[in-house]
Amino acid sequence: MFKQTAAITAMNIRSIPQRLGMSLAAIVSIAFVVGVLLAFMAMANGFCATVSGTGAEDVAVMLRAGSQAELNSNMSRDEVLLVERGPGIAAGGNGAPVTSAELYVIVDGKKRGSGTDANLPLRGVGPEGPQMRAGFTMTEGRMFEPGAAELIVGEGVIREFSGFELGEEIRLGTNTWRVVGVFSTGGTVFDSEIWSEIGVLQNLYSRGSSVQSMRAQMTSPEAIEELQAYVENEPRLNLDVQSEKEFLASQAGGTVTLIKFLGWPLAVAMAIGALAGAWNTMYSSVDARTKEIATLRAIGFSGFAAFLGTMIESLALAILGGILGAVAAYLLFDGISASTLGGGFTQVVFSFAVTPASLIAAMILAIIVGFLAGFFPAMRAARVPLLAVHQD
Amino acid sequence: MNGATLVRKNLFRKKLRAILLLFSILIAFLIFAVLGAFNKTLNAGVETAAADRLVTVNKINFTVSMPYAYWGRVASVEGVKNVSQANWFGGYYQEPRNFVQTFAVDPETYMRAYPELEFTQGSAEAFFNNRQCLAVGADLALQYEWNVGERVPLNSNIWQQQDGTSDWDFDICAIFDAEDDNVPANYALFHYEYFNESLAFNRDQVGWLIINTEDPSMNDAVSQRIDAMFANSPAETETTTEAAFSKAFIEQLGNIGLIITLVTGAAFATILMIVGTTMVMAINERTREIAVMKTIGFPAPRIFRMVLSESLLLSLIGGLLGIGLAASLIWLMSQSPAVSGSLPGLSVGWRVTFIGIGFMIALGLITGLIPAWNAMRANIAEAFGKV
Amino acid sequence: MTEPLYQLTDLSKRYTRGKESITIFEKLTMTIPAGDFIAIMGPSGSGKTTLLNLLGGIDAPSSGEVVFEGKRIDNMSQGALAKWRAANVGFIFQFYNLMPTLTAAQNVELPLLLTKLGGKERKQRVRTALDIVGIADRAGHRPTQLSGGQQQRVAIARAIVADPEVLLCDEPTGDLDRATADEVLATLQLLNKELGKAIVMVTHDPSAAKYAQRELHLDKGRFVEKELVT
Repeated sequence: MFKQTAAITAMNIRSIPQRLGMSLAAIVSIAFVVGVLLAFMAMANGFCATVSGTGAEDVAVMLRAGSQAELNSNMSRDEVLLVERGPGIAAGGNGAPVTSAELYVIVDGKKRGSGTDANLPLRGVGPEGPQMRAGFTMTEGRMFEPGAAELIVGEGVIREFSGFELGEEIRLGTNTWRVVGVFSTGGTVFDSEIWSEIGVLQNLYSRGSSVQSMRAQMTSPEAIEELQAYVENEPRLNLDVQSEKEFLASQAGGTVTLIKFLGWPLAVAMAIGALAGAWNTMYSSVDARTKEIATLRAIGFSGFAAFLGTMIESLALAILGGILGAVAAYLLFDGISASTLGGGFTQVVFSFAVTPASLIAAMILAIIVGFLAGFFPAMRAARVPLLAVHQD
Repeated sequence: MNGATLVRKNLFRKKLRAILLLFSILIAFLIFAVLGAFNKTLNAGVETAAADRLVTVNKINFTVSMPYAYWGRVASVEGVKNVSQANWFGGYYQEPRNFVQTFAVDPETYMRAYPELEFTQGSAEAFFNNRQCLAVGADLALQYEWNVGERVPLNSNIWQQQDGTSDWDFDICAIFDAEDDNVPANYALFHYEYFNESLAFNRDQVGWLIINTEDPSMNDAVSQRIDAMFANSPAETETTTEAAFSKAFIEQLGNIGLIITLVTGAAFATILMIVGTTMVMAINERTREIAVMKTIGFPAPRIFRMVLSESLLLSLIGGLLGIGLAASLIWLMSQSPAVSGSLPGLSVGWRVTFIGIGFMIALGLITGLIPAWNAMRANIAEAFGKV
Repeated sequence: MTEPLYQLTDLSKRYTRGKESITIFEKLTMTIPAGDFIAIMGPSGSGKTTLLNLLGGIDAPSSGEVVFEGKRIDNMSQGALAKWRAANVGFIFQFYNLMPTLTAAQNVELPLLLTKLGGKERKQRVRTALDIVGIADRAGHRPTQLSGGQQQRVAIARAIVADPEVLLCDEPTGDLDRATADEVLATLQLLNKELGKAIVMVTHDPSAAKYAQRELHLDKGRFVEKELVT
């Protein structure tokens, strides 16, 4: 049986050059299906990895109850002080709790791609703020000086937006700010932000001593529950407490779902179109070799071998197309930088990520197309009447 | 029998093959039309923007407010016919996930700024005179099944009242809509005064100004005058046309145009190859028949046209079925209140249809050209007398 | 004397295959009067089919003239030739060459699509042509539903439906059994005698040649003429 199948498969594959155009069309159409699917998945995965993949589990984020996003939230100085007295918060070198009260406002940046204004988050952070982001490093320039109208800019912002280059002066209201440094947090959502010292920002926006959100370094991930219980039982506090990881995941959810909801139906629709093309190719392949198959059957080859031969040809075309699409998608899309409006109503810069899981999913789709495209033509091959041997 | 009979019979000679080709063409045009419909709806703000309408926002960003006094000062700028102001309320109904796009506005100037809006229930007077009135867009009213006379509370995820609560009570006293389906009516409006006087913080601020100029040709001059007036103040402004403002907002989502172009490009490239190679093969199979027709006296140009008509017919049938299917799907989707609320006026539309027909003709011509050329050049003497 | 149907003068035809140049015939001259029925015989490669191609204007001579009813056709454009063929020549092939997707009647109607005739008149002509060849009862059948003899009758009906002056037949009975071949040949003879169609028939079959008024033997590009006594 193996020898028979191998012989028929070899015969099929040798005859591909006679249908080169159609075989190539089948391969390339499957490559397109895989490519489109991978592009959308790379977009979703890249965005997801940036926004939700990097939040810390032992950092608590506090917002005004019901406000959902930092932009909408506000907290008074009293509330901040009350939280700092809460349980489970790690102590710093001087024995004080490690927290960062932060202000979050939006400023305009120009998208490099389109030249249009886009929302960028300007975050006023406390002295402990940078250390609370794992992997924070200054890649260029220096940290802002307390009290000075100085900014440091995430490297994602530099990549996608113009107007915030090192040394640039920016007017916000009546103040002139200077970009003094570029920082990186290793590709997290904070790389899409611009930071300044909170006091200066409060002043500019006439916020007095109020802030919008607060982060606290916990002694352990479990300690967040203690803090939650404390906040709930303290009548003067009306806050939502979440781990940073949870908070960022909730911010990413909508966008990721949207991209995946768009990508999968498109890929499936295209796969159906490609299936029709591959089907066509396989039927022509069987039609073109009716006499050869009949001859082989007449000299004793089994119908099942004829079935397998055609099936293998179809799968080979599909897998070839799948690999072509995957390689092309990887080369074209993996690592490219893009930005979109994230959950905080500001731009999130992310890199497309072609992941092994999505490669496997795309190859499975290609193989399904190959299998379906081969099945009925293979049935026809298996049922070629022996009399077709006399066909001219 | 006539020439069309020949084309039709040849096209459906191998039924399975024809159906598979039609199907793959259908899918490509389905993708094209569905994405086109979404794109059209997303860009509705740009398409339906009035030529004489400008938007003034805080130069820092449009989410940052401006002093209330700006409203009055802009009204006196030369070339300005009408100024209104609006504020983002960040509303939701009962649950945070029931997002309701709500603006606190100055009712009379706002309705003057948007003359395309008409009241389908209730009246302008009801809206103007009732301080707690919520004027609801028709799409939004449909989504939440709201009717005039109902009393609804809306929560804000941003603002708080002085008593610490963040819910406002409203009477639905009017429902508005626009004749043009592309103009969105998926939001609600209420009185700025009702909003401002109860605010715990950020009082006497306005979110943005909407300006109608006396003539679109004055837009640039008016923009410059307004922005110059507030230069070097704590709240500098940036004034752009409504269309530019909408476009910049859509661009924030990402390069949607590029994504749509790439996806439909991939879909079209696929069918171009599938249909193209199959047509070449199908015509090659018929070389002998074509030679016979030429021998009988069919002139070469007529053979050329026949083969080209065949691929055109294939492309048009498949394409029109695809656009038809897309229109049906989109119509079904637009019947869902959730979709009509977030993507009002979702439909395939004539523009997409006409562009689609253009692509069908192009596809038919491109895929038919090589086989038609081959057929026209087929050497009749060689086909004559041999098997 | 009236003008002959065909006057071939100093006709030469050469092919180049690779580096080799093959001469099919050299300075061939012949006359075919109107109403003639010639059987052209000869071994394979003697140039029979090439001669037929030249008469039908589907191939051009290397030199010499082909004159049909006083008009040269060897130097006409492809378009003009197509028009000329549609009006003056009917073709009958060994393997019938019917369009598989069309019914017998539609196959016969095919050449009429090149005329300005209206639908009603076309139908009438198709009916008449099918009647003449005796296959009217199969008008609605497709070629695959017909026997070889029946298919060849449909092909003959197609050849005569536009009322041409001459029928060019390439081995018209080559694929038929004896009895069917005789029926088809009798039909051709009838068309020649009753309707005055000139017929040029290439054949291998000496008994087929018997139906013609005269036989021409072509050998290495030269004629050996024999008058037939019928």
